[in-house]
Amino acid sequence: MSNQNELNMDMIETLGPEFTVFVGLLLIMIVPNLGNGTFRVPGTSIRLPWFLGGTRYKVVASPRLPGLLAVLTMAVALIQVIWYLCDSSAADGKVISSENGIEIFKVNMFSRIFEAIFFAALLLAAIASLDRLPTGSQKSDDIDVLFNNRRQADFYILMLTSALGMSVVALAQDMFVLFVGLELASFSTYVLVAFHKETRAGSEGGAKYFIVGSVASAVGLYGLSMLYLWAGSLQFDVLAAKWAADGATSLSMMALGFVLVGFAFKISAVPFHFAAPDAYSGANSPVAGVLATASKAMGMLGLMRVLLIITIPDSTADGSAVWIGLLGVLAAVTMTWGNIAALGSENPKRMLAYSSVAHAGYMLAALTAIGAWNWGLVDNAGDAMDVVVAALLFHMFVLVFFKLGAFLVLGVLEMEGGASRLSSLAGLGKREPLLAVAMFLFMISLAGVPPMAGFLSKLLVIMGIVEVATGTGSLSSIADAHWVWWLALLMVINSAISMFYYLRVGVVMYFHEPEEGRQGPLASGASIRIAIALCAIGTVAFGLVGGELIDMCRDAAESLR
Amino acid sequence: MNIDYLSLMVILPILASIFLLILTSRLNPAARAKFDAPVRMASLIISLAMFVLATLMFLGQIGDVGWNDIAFNNFEFQESYVWIEQLGITWTVGVDGLSFPMVWLTTLLMPITIIATWNEKAGATYFPLMLMLGGALIGVFVALDMFMFYVFWELTLIPMFFMILKWGGKDRKYAAQKFFIYTFTASVIMLLGLLTMYFLMDTQTFSMQEMVVQASGANGNGVWLGLEVQKVLFIMLMLGFLVKLPAAPFHTWLPDAHVQAPTGGSMMLAGVMLKMGAYGMFRLPISLFPHALEEFRFIIMIIGLISLVWGAIVCLGQTNLKKMVAYSSVSHMGVILLGIASMQPLGWAAALFMMFAHGIISPMLFAVCGAFKHHYHSMEIGAMRGMAKHSPWLATSMMFGWMASLGLPLLAGFVAELMLMVAYWYAYGWWILLPGLVLAITAAYYLWSMQRTIFEGGEATQPPESLHGEPVPDIDNSEKIAMLLLAAFTILFGIMPWIFLDMMDMWTRSAMAFLGVGGA
Repeated sequence: MSNQNELNMDMIETLGPEFTVFVGLLLIMIVPNLGNGTFRVPGTSIRLPWFLGGTRYKVVASPRLPGLLAVLTMAVALIQVIWYLCDSSAADGKVISSENGIEIFKVNMFSRIFEAIFFAALLLAAIASLDRLPTGSQKSDDIDVLFNNRRQADFYILMLTSALGMSVVALAQDMFVLFVGLELASFSTYVLVAFHKETRAGSEGGAKYFIVGSVASAVGLYGLSMLYLWAGSLQFDVLAAKWAADGATSLSMMALGFVLVGFAFKISAVPFHFAAPDAYSGANSPVAGVLATASKAMGMLGLMRVLLIITIPDSTADGSAVWIGLLGVLAAVTMTWGNIAALGSENPKRMLAYSSVAHAGYMLAALTAIGAWNWGLVDNAGDAMDVVVAALLFHMFVLVFFKLGAFLVLGVLEMEGGASRLSSLAGLGKREPLLAVAMFLFMISLAGVPPMAGFLSKLLVIMGIVEVATGTGSLSSIADAHWVWWLALLMVINSAISMFYYLRVGVVMYFHEPEEGRQGPLASGASIRIAIALCAIGTVAFGLVGGELIDMCRDAAESLR
Repeated sequence: MNIDYLSLMVILPILASIFLLILTSRLNPAARAKFDAPVRMASLIISLAMFVLATLMFLGQIGDVGWNDIAFNNFEFQESYVWIEQLGITWTVGVDGLSFPMVWLTTLLMPITIIATWNEKAGATYFPLMLMLGGALIGVFVALDMFMFYVFWELTLIPMFFMILKWGGKDRKYAAQKFFIYTFTASVIMLLGLLTMYFLMDTQTFSMQEMVVQASGANGNGVWLGLEVQKVLFIMLMLGFLVKLPAAPFHTWLPDAHVQAPTGGSMMLAGVMLKMGAYGMFRLPISLFPHALEEFRFIIMIIGLISLVWGAIVCLGQTNLKKMVAYSSVSHMGVILLGIASMQPLGWAAALFMMFAHGIISPMLFAVCGAFKHHYHSMEIGAMRGMAKHSPWLATSMMFGWMASLGLPLLAGFVAELMLMVAYWYAYGWWILLPGLVLAITAAYYLWSMQRTIFEGGEATQPPESLHGEPVPDIDNSEKIAMLLLAAFTILFGIMPWIFLDMMDMWTRSAMAFLGVGGA
């Protein structure tokens, strides 16, 4: 470990991806405004060129420029993150602390793998969005072009700020810093959801998401203040030490409960999920995909930090965490509710939103199992915890490909007008076979059919739960296993239920006749198809050869402890 | 030169099908129609090559294996590669007396099915799906790694789902989803059982061979699990296989799937896919938890009897030819369960041979149904009468198939049924009368349907309404070839059952000796 507190080259190297995003953000703000503008020195007639405003140069006025800049930025940042992840020498992590020794950021495998998830999701969404926003004609003095160019810039600026916010959440070692990052990312996503403000669904979804989200944030913030009251600090290690010393007091329990509400909203766990279907169906598809993958991973990250660092299980009689019962119930209700609600939804985006609720339930079940890691029957408790954490990381990583990919396919349909009914998918198998195949792959991957990545991730999660539950293997009956085993059973039953609505998409695509006026070929757009192709390749490839990624997730899980 | 033939037989058809599907997917329908003939020919050649390969393996031209000496838990052509190192998952293939007949059967049925449905429309996608199905099925039978087994187990669903969905009958949408969801539900529960078992092992491994050794206590650590846990795991695993088999009360997906599926799909479904269930039972729960099997023996017998009786009674009431054949499959699968429950080496061997014999006979029945539908545009048993006069080929094939299915001596089905009766006599004594009686019912419905369609004359010899006055055709040449081949193999294995029965017998006897169960 090394501590740093001044801005120098070393720090820039440590926080490389974040600086890349920051520089990209500045560039998107400045570059589209470059022109032959001049500055008149007051009192004289000397005009100095200062390059802002005036008539913009043709290159920078292109409406495509902000998108390309954003894609470039995210790609570079992602490559930097992956470079870090593949470079095993960096495994022990680096700490950035303030002048009085308070840890602010910690760069290690765990935080970096989350950044890889965020950046990958945002990169794919940015690539897909290149074709989606209207770019108009290329005449540089056209007011529409200016408007489109500005609007383009707005969209990608928000994407990059949410990337920055998310990476702050990933790196934060202090609840307050984490909260700042969370709000930065949240506010960007609120606006992104409402970006289609011209449509009723867009503004409705945006407003709902904003209101419910701010209430959840406010509750979380209230919890933070109580936490500060209890411990006198918001540092993770201080809080953890205090928790270990005091055990659960009513104040700390209440404070943590409030904080968890904020994160539970982000992962759309029941009963905080009500805004999610509206937000997903109102937002344009790539943004909805980001909500379902990156934003959810961010909430999950917060939950993991709070539950696994601060309140590590040690206090109660059987060595389980205090929250295990509550979380278990939450997981069971969330996965069942999500799946049953998805069964009845005719809007594919709402269906995907509820399926994302169900996936939140699966992840909560895994977290519950971690809460039981110390319950006495497990040989090497730390290892068991690593296995489950690694499974969660793997799940969130591959979810980017098939969840976002499914949203992007809907995005292609949106380009020709609306994807709010299941019937808008009708006949996709005839209209564009490869797109339909990709969608089918995403669907069966979401359901967990081998050999897709979704199967491997679900397998890892169930394996983790079962490993914790069965312990050392000296069971005389299944009733002796820890009760989290039943969560695994509920999970496989839920997978079976989910098969109904995932398969229905396949049936509609291949069986139903296309709607009136949608018989012809789909809207063109190379970049969104490239993004979908990347998603499909990832879905299949990580399912067949996921070994390296599992290794990476294991390393990351070890660096959490 | 050391070639991994088994992996080749799994990967080649799957890769070929993906290649062919992608090749034609970007074309417009008119251009794709031009590809129908070459794709069909390519599929036939690949499947024939696989059949030749499997046969050469059996004849000893490749590998020189003493097939009749393979003891339980020993495998031939075994190859192993690391797949996902981090989880200990390997790609391990191998065959023994249990799986090789199934592999050979799959490679036999693939070209025959392709020939029987030679004139299928939209061949450019249909035949590649058939190849993918075949590859996945072989993958199930040769997999010796639990993970690999499960992957192929689920992979078989996908081509079948699309076959039913794209070329099925009126209610294909419902049938395809029901088929997928039933079997998927059962297999996820099976998966949880497999994973629970994985973590309860002394040395955690996905290798089936290793697991059997550990489960039996042959590694010196004693029997690995308490009987209570064994029973729970046995139920979880059996559930997956019982639904696939299918046994009552989980059989309701089968008639729907069969009636709606296209002919080729039905042939593969009845011929090989149902056998996956029985194969899985022998490979996993029975090999791993033989003592739990003894505990549940009575229940399995009851389930088998109910499937047998229920299937036969429902058959009697059917007017739809294909549905009747489908329910007769349920009935025959009950026979397999009875064989397992008898706990006699003869009974197990009978079950294995029933799997094989039914795998040859039932595709013939479904090929006849397909031809019937094809030529008379109807499935109703009353729709066509006096077939013997105007369609002698179809009438003969139908009669042959029906006779084989009800167990005419010198045909393959008879051998299995006779063996089962003897085993059942050993195991339960006079209760033999019950399945015997049911087999008589079987004869009743077959004879009744034949009497009505083939021979009954009078006014009804006129072609049915559904033909709109066109002349009645007989079956075409490709269908003739397929039926002749199936009939030939039915006779061959009726007269010389020992071709495969010897290795099955070796497997069951050594298995019972190894597992320490049964009346050996």
